[in-house]
Amino acid sequence: MHSGNSEKTSREIPAKNDISQTLSIAAFQDSVRRQVRYALGKEWRNLSGYDLFTAVALAVRELLVDRMLETEARYQQVNAKRLYYLSIEFLMGRSLGNNLDNLGLFDLCKQALHEMGVNLADLEEHERDAALGNGGLGRLAACFLDSLATLGMPGYGYGIHYEYGLFKQEIRNGYQAEKPDNWLVYGTPWEIERADEACLIPVYGRIEHTLDRGGQYNPMWMDWKILVGVPHDLPIVGYGGRTVNYLRLYSARSSADFDMQIFNTGDYIKAVEQKIASETITKVLYPSDTVMAGQELRLVQEYFLVACAVRDIIKRYTQTHATFEAFSSQVAMQLNDTHPAVAVAELMRVLLDENDLPWEQAWKITQETFGYTNHTLLPEALEKWPVSLFEYVLPRHLQIIREINHRFLAHTATAWPDDDERLRRVSIVTEGAHPQVRMGHLAIIGSHSVNGVSALHTELVQSTLIPDFFHLWPERFNNKTNGITQRRWLRQANPSLARLLSQTIGDEWITNLDALKALEPFAQDRDSQQEFLRIKYANKERLAAVIKELTRVTVDPESLFDVQVKRIHEYKRQLLNVLHIIHEYLCVTEDHREPLVARTYIFAGKAAPGYWAAKQLVKLINNVGRVINADPRVRGRIKVVFIPDYRVSLAERIIPAADLSEQISTAGKEASGTGNMKFALNGALTIGTLDGANIEIMEEVGEENIFIFGLRAQDIQQMRSQGSYQPREYYARHPALKRVMDALSSDLFCREEPELFKWIYHALVEQGDEYFHLADLSSYLDVQERVGAEFTNPIGWARKAILNVARIGKFSSDRTVQEYAKDIWRIESIL
Amino acid sequence: MEVMCDHIGDVTVVVLEGAQLDASSTGEFKRDIMPVLEKQAQVIFDLSQLGFIDSSGLGAFLSCLRHLQARGGDLKLCNMSKPVRALFELVRMHRIFHIFETQEEAVRAFRQQ
Repeated sequence: MHSGNSEKTSREIPAKNDISQTLSIAAFQDSVRRQVRYALGKEWRNLSGYDLFTAVALAVRELLVDRMLETEARYQQVNAKRLYYLSIEFLMGRSLGNNLDNLGLFDLCKQALHEMGVNLADLEEHERDAALGNGGLGRLAACFLDSLATLGMPGYGYGIHYEYGLFKQEIRNGYQAEKPDNWLVYGTPWEIERADEACLIPVYGRIEHTLDRGGQYNPMWMDWKILVGVPHDLPIVGYGGRTVNYLRLYSARSSADFDMQIFNTGDYIKAVEQKIASETITKVLYPSDTVMAGQELRLVQEYFLVACAVRDIIKRYTQTHATFEAFSSQVAMQLNDTHPAVAVAELMRVLLDENDLPWEQAWKITQETFGYTNHTLLPEALEKWPVSLFEYVLPRHLQIIREINHRFLAHTATAWPDDDERLRRVSIVTEGAHPQVRMGHLAIIGSHSVNGVSALHTELVQSTLIPDFFHLWPERFNNKTNGITQRRWLRQANPSLARLLSQTIGDEWITNLDALKALEPFAQDRDSQQEFLRIKYANKERLAAVIKELTRVTVDPESLFDVQVKRIHEYKRQLLNVLHIIHEYLCVTEDHREPLVARTYIFAGKAAPGYWAAKQLVKLINNVGRVINADPRVRGRIKVVFIPDYRVSLAERIIPAADLSEQISTAGKEASGTGNMKFALNGALTIGTLDGANIEIMEEVGEENIFIFGLRAQDIQQMRSQGSYQPREYYARHPALKRVMDALSSDLFCREEPELFKWIYHALVEQGDEYFHLADLSSYLDVQERVGAEFTNPIGWARKAILNVARIGKFSSDRTVQEYAKDIWRIESIL
Repeated sequence: MEVMCDHIGDVTVVVLEGAQLDASSTGEFKRDIMPVLEKQAQVIFDLSQLGFIDSSGLGAFLSCLRHLQARGGDLKLCNMSKPVRALFELVRMHRIFHIFETQEEAVRAFRQQ
């Protein structure tokens, strides 16, 4: 691989504790050559691009490991309290650029490789995304790990080492097709497998009711099957390279020894089947939005994660402590949504059964240890498991959960005497013919802290989602508005803007995003505005090339890049965006009125494979694009593209190029959103509803620097409760809306598959419009009109965009993590 | 899995010779141990060589205990490795069995009964 045109410019911002001051270019080159020869066993001349990436990554990993061991020693020296972040998803993306940046080695590495005839930017393209997550929840976890390490806090991620990440998305004839994402096909150079720390995890079985030697009831968990959990550590380096924590991911293995026993009896097939069954547990990440209920494998997966984590955490704790007295002052565990909620029962089981603690003490420790983050107001996402399935998979845990529930309800009955209905509402186990275990309730009852992820979301959690719990324990509830790491989402993704910021206001923003405030005066400065626009244009050119490569559509970087990239979901309302596009198109074709500015509407995102409506929306976007892009009457003033296979590395290309950020969910549905923050940080203006963190973004950047439209959450709540929303009235009253809906109902966008999109007309006009598209459409069209008008004034636009950057400091994940650390985890920086 | 018996007075010490007691070896173990349990009332299992036991092995131990107790006898365990001890604790069987660090302690416990 030889030097080509590097798309990435160098990072001229020095990192703190710059390792490049002690590491020479020659030493780094030697290290790379050594990896090529002794880790890969190859000659330099025979290397593929992936080989070279691997060799460089291994050379970087050596530096990470040194610092990881130093970090551990530092933590041990002060007997630091540790935070364990339990999450079923970690959406890490690529690591090479991020690790080099945070180590302060990007430029050294770039130069070293250049001298060896290798282009670093090309090399980065060989790294496959670690797509171990669906969207916001998993990416938040990844941002938190970056912030924890940057802040020098002892915080570790615990997750699953999926063999297949989130599916790869292809677009065939406009439809989404899913392909497996075998991201580990060539392994990953970053991880360190810890086979020696494998743990045994029992699952299934039955309870045998006995008495112990003292005559006390002693339930015994018998006839379980065994799983083997093997940890894999991915080093997580903080900015400056001082602290390297890790993300520990567990894969399920069947032990060769155990299989051999079966093999020795002559039943080879059974031995192999058992091995395959065990390893299936961590084979694949479940796409979100699929119905989880009843899926045994998913429950086993969730349990496997927390059982491995709890075992590992207790092992580390008991290495230095003889009793559990100090456990909750040494250990904090955060439940990232309900998926790891069974950890509450698992920790109780370990304390009660394996360590003989009395119930009261075990319960106190458990509650003091756990915190729970709620991520959604969508009721279907609050997991429930049929009791019968739970008992089959985890019989001892169900016993413990029943006991927790029994004690909780007895306590609660004293607070609410004679209110059986309320007790039924808060019970962990539901009643009826098909009782279920509510994992959200288990998480709330078993934690000392329950937090939402934006101010509005927390308010809605308290007032509408689980008000009974809020009345019972108001002190447990708190808000932690989400954040993003500026190291990845600005410094790495948008190096030109990062350089401009550092040249203008210094580089404090890299570790203190509030420092961007100093940029405010430059929003009025003509040179800064011009430079900002020049950088934006270059990023748009770069994205235009990506779009051309992936979609074969040519887009004009001079046009307004109007971007909606996120999971495809009805509540996120990609459809509302499409309705606006159709309106604009009809204005051209029927009214002969061109839009004020040329626009490129850019979509990307994956639909859950089992979510029919979302997959239809992907088809709709592609069909609308195909019709409009080919219509000569439009003269290229409107372009619509759907970029396939949205993932972190693609987001890093798209977000810096956006002019307009579409955050248009139905108010009250989006918990926070983090894409909204990434776009604003990169100087895009937001068009959005008063939902999730949009509200706080508006408060920060100022109402005049954001385009807000639509109903508020309380309006929608009221309309729902009163049944007053009549979408047909909107259809009848507004000719523009009617025309758009009639176009959708016709075959304008589906000539080859007649009536394909008729369901949308029915869903919106006749079936209640669950997500209030028609209620918000007029307001959306008006504000989009204003957007177009303002974009015709580049200087005014640049001023607002720069103010967005300057005022977005609150939304750093450093701030979020510091709040969690202070209020919930009680951990400190150990630097 | 072979069993080797030694007698210290009225106490029979059974050394389990094999690193694993699991689904593939439990049947053989039960077949070999039952004649011993038929004849003896005070039995000690010395588990010093046992590195792994699965739920079927634990179930077999429980059967042995119940068999002896039904006849007025008892079963004590000694020299348990850490991983095996962890599996006993996992199923709460450490609350059912008398478990000792050494063979001598187990024998002494029988004598003190």
